[in-house]
Amino acid sequence: MATSIAASKRPFVTLPFLLPSWSDSLALGSRRYQSSYRRTKQRLRVKPDATFGSSYQGRDQIIYNPPSSAPSVYHTPSKFLPSNDARRSMRIEDSATGNVTDKVEELPNVYRSDPERKYHLTPADVEEIRKLRLSDPMTWSRHKLAKRFECSPLFIAMVCEASPEKKQIQRQVLEAVQSQWGPKRRMAREDRKLRREAWGRDE
Amino acid sequence: MKRVQLQRWSSTVLSPRAQTASRLHQHVFPAGSRCQSTASPLQAESSAQEGLGDSGFEDVELMKHVRSAHRRKDMLKYPSPPVDAALNSAKLAALHARLYLPSRLPPQTLARALVDASADSNPDFNNESLATLGHDLLTYYTTEHLLCTYPRLPLTVIFAAMYAYAGPKTLAAMAREWGVEHASLPGGEVDPGLLQFRRVAPGSDLNVLYNKRTPRPYAAQKAWRMTVTSKIFYDDEFGDAIKGPENSGEGVTAELASATFVRAVMGAIYLHAGRPAAKRFFEQHFLSRHLNISQLFNFSQPARDLARLCARENFEPPVARIISETGRKSRHPVFVVGIFSGQDKLGEGAGASLIEARERAALAALKGWYLYSPLNVRVPSSMEEEGAAPWKPVYVDLGEVIV
Repeated sequence: MATSIAASKRPFVTLPFLLPSWSDSLALGSRRYQSSYRRTKQRLRVKPDATFGSSYQGRDQIIYNPPSSAPSVYHTPSKFLPSNDARRSMRIEDSATGNVTDKVEELPNVYRSDPERKYHLTPADVEEIRKLRLSDPMTWSRHKLAKRFECSPLFIAMVCEASPEKKQIQRQVLEAVQSQWGPKRRMAREDRKLRREAWGRDE
Repeated sequence: MKRVQLQRWSSTVLSPRAQTASRLHQHVFPAGSRCQSTASPLQAESSAQEGLGDSGFEDVELMKHVRSAHRRKDMLKYPSPPVDAALNSAKLAALHARLYLPSRLPPQTLARALVDASADSNPDFNNESLATLGHDLLTYYTTEHLLCTYPRLPLTVIFAAMYAYAGPKTLAAMAREWGVEHASLPGGEVDPGLLQFRRVAPGSDLNVLYNKRTPRPYAAQKAWRMTVTSKIFYDDEFGDAIKGPENSGEGVTAELASATFVRAVMGAIYLHAGRPAAKRFFEQHFLSRHLNISQLFNFSQPARDLARLCARENFEPPVARIISETGRKSRHPVFVVGIFSGQDKLGEGAGASLIEARERAALAALKGWYLYSPLNVRVPSSMEEEGAAPWKPVYVDLGEVIV
């Protein structure tokens, strides 16, 4: 009974996403707003749902109500609090008495395996890397050198730099490849770059 | 019941200006003034005689008109309105009441705060000195608030926050919100409630207008790297190059003139009503503006910075772990990645790829570090209050992460 009343209070016109797209232009002219406090209040009243309760805690579930949101950046992690901050001891007490922390070790790593740091290259090896890269830059690329000396390409880049001629050739190759791109691919690449920049601004 | 005779009432209720000028009233008026004057009766008599002679000779209305025209002509000689005009300006009184300024601040000073140096070059009548004081107070209060509330903020973010709180754009927006209107041309006859400044000629280049006379050595070397730290020494409080004194007679932009006015109001409040009133004005009009500092950050490589930070603070190296995920093989996957240092979670981020989620998590961790705010923040200027508690040193951080 209650559901039928709730349904009649919500006519289709107030739920524009249920209407077909052609009716958008029609609905624009005759849209009605919640012009009274009582109506707004009524719309915001959420009926209690079974998923609201705490009985679901501790069991496997796929519905989280209310849904989780990203933690606020103004909430400083306990590790970042200075030693004389009062919140530090309060949180330690809180975690000791209350909720069980998840096993951090059980969570899967983002990368398959951590890169193992070997620190095995000697100054003589570094000299040889430089010599090889200068002598034949086309054969001895960063990745080939990294494979041969069992280090990362980043380390090769830190140790030596490609000759200007090689850089020029590489730039020409890149330009030749990019000239083959159509408008769609070019736009997609630019969008990708913009999205990547937006990560740093947290947008 | 007897009816009230409106004819009689009207003469007492209506203001003198609205009354029809009758010769009788004008003849009576000098006699009344003589009774109240402290001058000797003989002088008063003679002045009354003069008044009688004038009014007797010509029409009084015309006389009044001519006199006011003469006064206006006198006022045209001045570059800015005379001091006593401030008492008759409705605009000024309205602005005073709207801003809820202390009553100890007279309208004359508020009128002076509205006269820019480009309108009146005389330092006794323009707002330059008030603005200098107000600017110093504003930047001091803003800086101490930022440094004490967020002691770990990177310098670039502090500069951006300073600009957002007390920069010229914000001050100009505030002047607009306060309802300060601009006079089209400055002059003595202008209503003192209008902001008076000489405008920049249309089409003039603003970069050339303000000669950048910076104390920075080797400023001509454009290709040289400018460190952020050097901006503390050589640049202004917003991290911009210090602008030299503008060429006189060239005019200023409306934005700069409005900003100078707001600073001058701050300085005037400090001078007339004292430090507590100035502090209260700052808190009510500047600190009350909402600024989300977490949006001022922009990182290029957050994961690398976080690794450096953990190494510097002797934490375990950060490890990215997947907390939850959905739709890995679908078109729109969502990954939630947390960055852990040992057992502690430093940050958490969600993204459409593992790389994105990891970057966002590292960014959240870095923001968590930089946006640390101590409990019960006190600023040094709070010690100036009566009966302040003994000072406890504020938290001072090591500085931002340098890679």
